[in-house]
Amino acid sequence: MTPAIAIQHLTKFYRRFRAIDDISFEVAPGEFFGFLGPNGAGKTTTISVVTGLANYQRGRVSVLGHDVRRDYRLARAQIGLVPQEFNFDPFLSAEQILTFEAGYFGLLREEARKRAHELLNLFGLWDKRREGYKKLSGGMKRRLLIARALMHQPKILILDEPTAGVDLELRYWLWDFIRELNQKGTTIFLTTHYIEEAEKLCSRIGVIHQGKIVALEPTENLIRTMSGEEVEFYLKNKITERPKELESLSLIYEDGGKKLRFEDKGDAISKVLKALCHRGTEVERIGVRRPTLEDAFLKLIRKK
Amino acid sequence: MRTFVGFRTLVIREIYRFLSVFTQTIFPPIVSSFLYIFIFGFSLGARIQEVQGVSYLTFLIPGLIMMYVIEGSYTNASSSLFISRWANNIEELLVTPLSYWEMVAAMLIGGLVRSFVVATGVYGVSLLFVQFPVAHPLTVFYFFVFVSLTFSAVGMMIALFAEEFEHLTIMTTFVITPLVFLGGVFNSMDMVPEALQWITRYNPIFYMVSGIRYGMLGVSDASVGFSMWVVFLLFLSLFIVTVYMFRIGFKLRK
Repeated sequence: MTPAIAIQHLTKFYRRFRAIDDISFEVAPGEFFGFLGPNGAGKTTTISVVTGLANYQRGRVSVLGHDVRRDYRLARAQIGLVPQEFNFDPFLSAEQILTFEAGYFGLLREEARKRAHELLNLFGLWDKRREGYKKLSGGMKRRLLIARALMHQPKILILDEPTAGVDLELRYWLWDFIRELNQKGTTIFLTTHYIEEAEKLCSRIGVIHQGKIVALEPTENLIRTMSGEEVEFYLKNKITERPKELESLSLIYEDGGKKLRFEDKGDAISKVLKALCHRGTEVERIGVRRPTLEDAFLKLIRKK
Repeated sequence: MRTFVGFRTLVIREIYRFLSVFTQTIFPPIVSSFLYIFIFGFSLGARIQEVQGVSYLTFLIPGLIMMYVIEGSYTNASSSLFISRWANNIEELLVTPLSYWEMVAAMLIGGLVRSFVVATGVYGVSLLFVQFPVAHPLTVFYFFVFVSLTFSAVGMMIALFAEEFEHLTIMTTFVITPLVFLGGVFNSMDMVPEALQWITRYNPIFYMVSGIRYGMLGVSDASVGFSMWVVFLLFLSLFIVTVYMFRIGFKLRK
């Protein structure tokens, strides 16, 4: 099957700075792909290359089999882009922003109007349709950005930090909306700062750091392989002497020895229990901390 | 892919843009043309003897129309594209399946339409002072179209180079206005010193003014055939360069 997005050995320089360093990966049609990385890692640059907003020096990039340079028109026709920054036409009203963008993508005026009305209603922008974008609130602008990207019903939706600076209610609404879109068959390529977002939505995740792909795995695997669950033992009385037989487990002693924390690896739990029992120390409560993608992410970045 | 729809939409957007700010784009040139015609043509011109066999007022009109065609198309294309770069909404366009030449051509047509509206207004004002039959309407049309497309292309190129709004006006102040004033808008070549006449031969605006004057009055300083070639080749080369700048993404793509 032709990949929705195929990136092969992509390298991009900003003057002498190597912003993207020989990255390769594919996104399958219908996939919900998360692209993570710290600020300046190369996420937006990668998106810009795919959508035609940035030049690149080496490699090949194609969208549903269309080379983004040679067949740029066909490639661009497949994509809807929700950029990070607001980039609306300052001369147009909210409705015109939608209909004109649809027109550029080849929708006839009547089709464009119908679709714009649908989306204005869906995104709660109907009452503001005659206003210029400057009169909209931050959340409304964000919704208008997404509506604009959806006007031509793209096969691939690329969202660059869509929930940055968005209130909780809208964030959850957007999550549901994008998830539903994906279930209907739209390929989603999402970059985000919010690890929770990627964890909740994405089936597979690529992590970019300093222009290089440092991880590319299904979300579950990434979390599991990068860090195991952590167990916390809350003790009735504190441990004064650290048990020698537990040295290999790299236990963390907290709360003046009243709390033990360690990674749930192999038979670690029974070893710790045995040692505590041997010393007559009673366990008051046991807590388990599931690792988050953030843990995995931080570990990955630190490792590099 | 319905490519023509995209192209047409961009043309409509360009026209909509300048019409939505008509107090800045349409009225000022019409008002100032009234002043030019009234002061220079009507009041002062009455004291100037005939130029190339016509009254000074009549002589002035075609050059003045050409001046506003040049100014209108340059300003339209340069501000439209520069504002798009500045507000970053050029990205709205760059991610669409429009081809590069369609993007450029649609913006040039925006400049063409604006200068058509302005030129019609200026001509209308001139009719208040003097009426004369247009000698060669098709020639007028030819020069109008190619001159406004040429200066729209100049405007787009400058808008790509510019980093600030002032850079757009620097071009007007230091290049376009001097070339217009030295290009025979207000005077015939035989009214200036010989050295200046020689320099003027290298001023492309001289051929534009000459061409439209021939079209409207049937008299001119330069050969009309040669002027037609100058204007056409200038347009063609600037169009190719502008499309090339879009293709390589000069200051458009990161």
